[in-house]
Amino acid sequence: MGRNLEDLLIFIGKRFLELLPVLLGVIVLTFLVTHVAAINPCPRWYPKGSPAVIAHCKAQFALPLYTQFWNYFSQLLSGNWGASQLGVPVLPVISSAVPATLELVLASMLLMVVIGIPLGVIAAQYSGRWGDHLVRILYLSGWSVPTYVGAVIAAVFLGPYLGLPTSHEYSTTSVPFPQYTHMSVLDAIIAGNFPYTIDAINHLILPASVLAFINMGIATRMTRATMLEVLPLDYVKAARMKGLSNFIVLYKHALRNALIATVTVLGLTAGGLLSGTVVIEEVFAWPGIGAYAFASLGGGGQPNFDGAIAVTIVFAIGVVIANLISDVLYGVLDPRVEWR
Amino acid sequence: MIGTRPVLSVENLSVEYEVGAGRFQAVSDVSLVIPRGRVVGIVGETGCGKSTLAQAIPRLLPEPPAHIRSGKVIFQGTDLVKVPRSKLPLVRGTGIGMIFQEPLNSLNPAFRVFDQIAESVQMRHWRETGVLPSFHPGPTPFDYSRRPMPETADVLTHPIIPPGAKDEVTRRVSTMTRADYRKEVLDYLRLVRINDPETILNLFPHELSGGMRQRIMIAMALSQKPALLIADEPTSALDVTIQAQVLTLMKELIDEVHASILYISHDLGVVAETADDLGVMYAGRLVEFGPVAEIFESPRHPYTKSLLRSIPTRYKSDWPMPTIPGSVPNLSQLPRGCRFHPRCSLAKPICSREPPPPLRVMAPVTGDETPHKSACHYAEEVANLP
Amino acid sequence: MASPQRPSVVRRFLQLAWRNSVALTRVLRANPLSFVGFVLVAITLILTVIVVVHPSLVVPYGASQNTGVYQEPPTILHWPPSIAHPFGTDQGGRDIYSDVMLALPLDLGIGIGIAGTSVLIGGFLGLVAGFWDKPGTAGGATSTVIMRTTDVFLAFPSLILALAIVASIGRGVWAAFLAIQTTWWPFYVRLVRGEVLAVKHLPYVTAARAAGVGEGRILTRHVLRNVMDPIIVYFTLDIGTVLVTFSTISFVGAGIPFPGPVPEWGSMMSFYQGAYLLSQYWWYITFPALAIFMTALAYSLLGDGLRDVLDPRTRRALTQSVTTHEPPPEEPPLQAATTETSEEEEAVEETEMRS
Repeated sequence: MGRNLEDLLIFIGKRFLELLPVLLGVIVLTFLVTHVAAINPCPRWYPKGSPAVIAHCKAQFALPLYTQFWNYFSQLLSGNWGASQLGVPVLPVISSAVPATLELVLASMLLMVVIGIPLGVIAAQYSGRWGDHLVRILYLSGWSVPTYVGAVIAAVFLGPYLGLPTSHEYSTTSVPFPQYTHMSVLDAIIAGNFPYTIDAINHLILPASVLAFINMGIATRMTRATMLEVLPLDYVKAARMKGLSNFIVLYKHALRNALIATVTVLGLTAGGLLSGTVVIEEVFAWPGIGAYAFASLGGGGQPNFDGAIAVTIVFAIGVVIANLISDVLYGVLDPRVEWR
Repeated sequence: MIGTRPVLSVENLSVEYEVGAGRFQAVSDVSLVIPRGRVVGIVGETGCGKSTLAQAIPRLLPEPPAHIRSGKVIFQGTDLVKVPRSKLPLVRGTGIGMIFQEPLNSLNPAFRVFDQIAESVQMRHWRETGVLPSFHPGPTPFDYSRRPMPETADVLTHPIIPPGAKDEVTRRVSTMTRADYRKEVLDYLRLVRINDPETILNLFPHELSGGMRQRIMIAMALSQKPALLIADEPTSALDVTIQAQVLTLMKELIDEVHASILYISHDLGVVAETADDLGVMYAGRLVEFGPVAEIFESPRHPYTKSLLRSIPTRYKSDWPMPTIPGSVPNLSQLPRGCRFHPRCSLAKPICSREPPPPLRVMAPVTGDETPHKSACHYAEEVANLP
Repeated sequence: MASPQRPSVVRRFLQLAWRNSVALTRVLRANPLSFVGFVLVAITLILTVIVVVHPSLVVPYGASQNTGVYQEPPTILHWPPSIAHPFGTDQGGRDIYSDVMLALPLDLGIGIGIAGTSVLIGGFLGLVAGFWDKPGTAGGATSTVIMRTTDVFLAFPSLILALAIVASIGRGVWAAFLAIQTTWWPFYVRLVRGEVLAVKHLPYVTAARAAGVGEGRILTRHVLRNVMDPIIVYFTLDIGTVLVTFSTISFVGAGIPFPGPVPEWGSMMSFYQGAYLLSQYWWYITFPALAIFMTALAYSLLGDGLRDVLDPRTRRALTQSVTTHEPPPEEPPLQAATTETSEEEEAVEETEMRS
């Protein structure tokens, strides 16, 4: 029955160990996709490359596979993540881009939780009636809209209409304080600069909202389903019989149990959110890793081989970490899960 | 006893369920009265509507599928059917409390024992000190006139507010912390005969046994000192030995606390031990009502009589065991006239034509004050049945 | 022919069809939105068939065809929607309505194709991983390998992996198809395996085994029947989701070039979104976008309605631990485990059994 901090750390550690083979597999699979499955890669990755560049590329791909893999693997681990065609090294760009995307994803998740979960509760409360149908249309619409359509509609129409900015993180390109974390709102708060904090939040609202709207469906639907299972149970009735208000019965007693299962789909939503950042960041000119992926994978006509490898792996690590978090959260929320 | 206002008076209550295919009546035209301090038992087979009745009284049934079609539920003078849903929480808890059947499901699995009982205690404190509104302001004391109180039940007589100190106490109660509630929670756990309650305070429900969970459920309900306690088959899901323990506990509590209780069960033996008055339900109707001893001694409805006869009383080989022929009717396809007539040995043509008569008062056999009523055309002849 | 014990195949098929159509009507009645979805799905399927078989019925012009040549004066460029051109024309005179319609079979076909192939591949692997998973045996090792591989694939956001594959093998229909297919099948492995594990230990399966029923028969009769439910739900939902993902890949420029012999909604949008004065010529991207949205919405509505009816099974498959593949702890506390069903439940069961 240990549920103290030490047990929690052991629990997290155990789950983390289970993930290491997956991380290894991620590295291997990325290699397979980029090096082994490549069909005539050199002209595609270096479309405007000089003959020397193409020849160098062909020589790299002509090496035996295990040599290629060894180079690839050792470079990854040593931190030498290569550079783009123009010579811009990959690792520094990624390390400043990841926090920016993290900020976007966290803001989206916050919106999803604050809006999506209560919507799920409402849908369960009014199950089968108009409230349920409205919520369903809402999240299914979000799900059926391609990311770029939603992003373009928001950027071109909603943004100007609402007066919200639609690109970058701040209104000015040079920000008068150092960016320690590369997370716009956080940096502004650390610098104690209130106007810039508000500015950063304004810039964050639209892209985070679009991302949240599109991916809200999973959380809402799962919450609705689990609430529908929980609401007829006796302990909810017992909570009502204590004289508690409907709000408390729903959000403290019922939701607390329903969320346990909802949390497990957090990993799924993480995948969707990260996928979405590729397009959202491109449309909203957000300097995150999604935009970098868009560019590296050929979006702007300038593909970046090393960059592509790096972003693929980083995105996968992101999903894996999100899954770890959701697993740990599940273990924390459900009192029946053993930590040791 | 009868002179004072009854705690609960159900008048012609009908509850209807809307299921996809149509509607059916789970409870039809049920009337009963629970005077102060009496334990009223309701028995019936599975599907007879007693659980629906129990949950309809505090309006716990989800309104979309279930509707209270007609009737009144008068609790301490207020018709609960007419109370708007948003005000219902004011009645529950300190007015009506409830204990449920399945110990697995009736405690919230995500919260510890202490938190669950403390929440009840906190609600009661807030109601009694006026922090939160309630239909029943102030403590509603049980009537302890039957016998002097043993010590464990003192907790139920502690005045919450020393007279004249209301404002200051209100402020203090609002800022009560976990530590302040601890003593009361422990007291209530001891009330339900849990030894060493300190050890279970931080446990989760899934770490406890069924009997323990049921006691905690009882403690939770009692800690709010309800005027009416509804027990919806509290021992049906327990092992027989545990059932006996919890039953003993309930009987002692009933004696100590002298609460008004509505006790639902399918077990005649259990009801015989705990109840003062007994109601028998069949297919959604109340077919007989009266003092427990009188019903057991001289039942006035064929169904009751058959039911009593079918209890295996001794371990002798009475073979074949007496049963009631036929089976309980489907609630959406009820027989016309009296609902029991297809299985009744007393059935006459009138029973299949005319709707069953309302409960008629019979001549009492024992000297109890509760009138003995039966819903049968031929109630007097029931005594002549084997 | 019908023998006394076993009804003929025809009879059994008819019974199955009848039961399934009853189930379908239950789904449609349950939720007005799923009925709308069903109607829309039917429309898309019918239209697809028409466009493939007899296009001239609904499509006035050819693919990416400059319709200006037929007019006097011979220039119809960027006309707004009108009777002759319901969705307008673009800067090259192409009738957008025709292009949108002609893209329907391809897009829908890709959606159904990828979802279907994923069901087959993922379902097969999931069955294997679920059924023969005793640790320490060869089956157990296979199961572990399958699940670990699935984990690795699932670790990539589908769009990223698809884009990486397309970047490696080139663009075009088959490249995009392969790319998305590679990212889609793993989900079904987890789904099916979860369901198989849940069903494997149910009392009636154990009873069947004890009665001597062979493993193969257990597999087909008991396990498959339960497994079909979440598969149907997610297959339907995935048709829409694949469509959306595919159009996103096309949008990034990795799909089929447009204008070209075969239009495709995503590539149409990709082509038009760089068009000059886009906000003035709003009909360029609106109609392909609407086509994607309505089609995806149709299948999502239907799938969501199906999910309502089949929910407990889909939940079971989804809520396994992602790292250890354990099912969630014992179900009873989250499920109603009353020993006495309420009158309502009994009546519901009875009316359902009758219908």
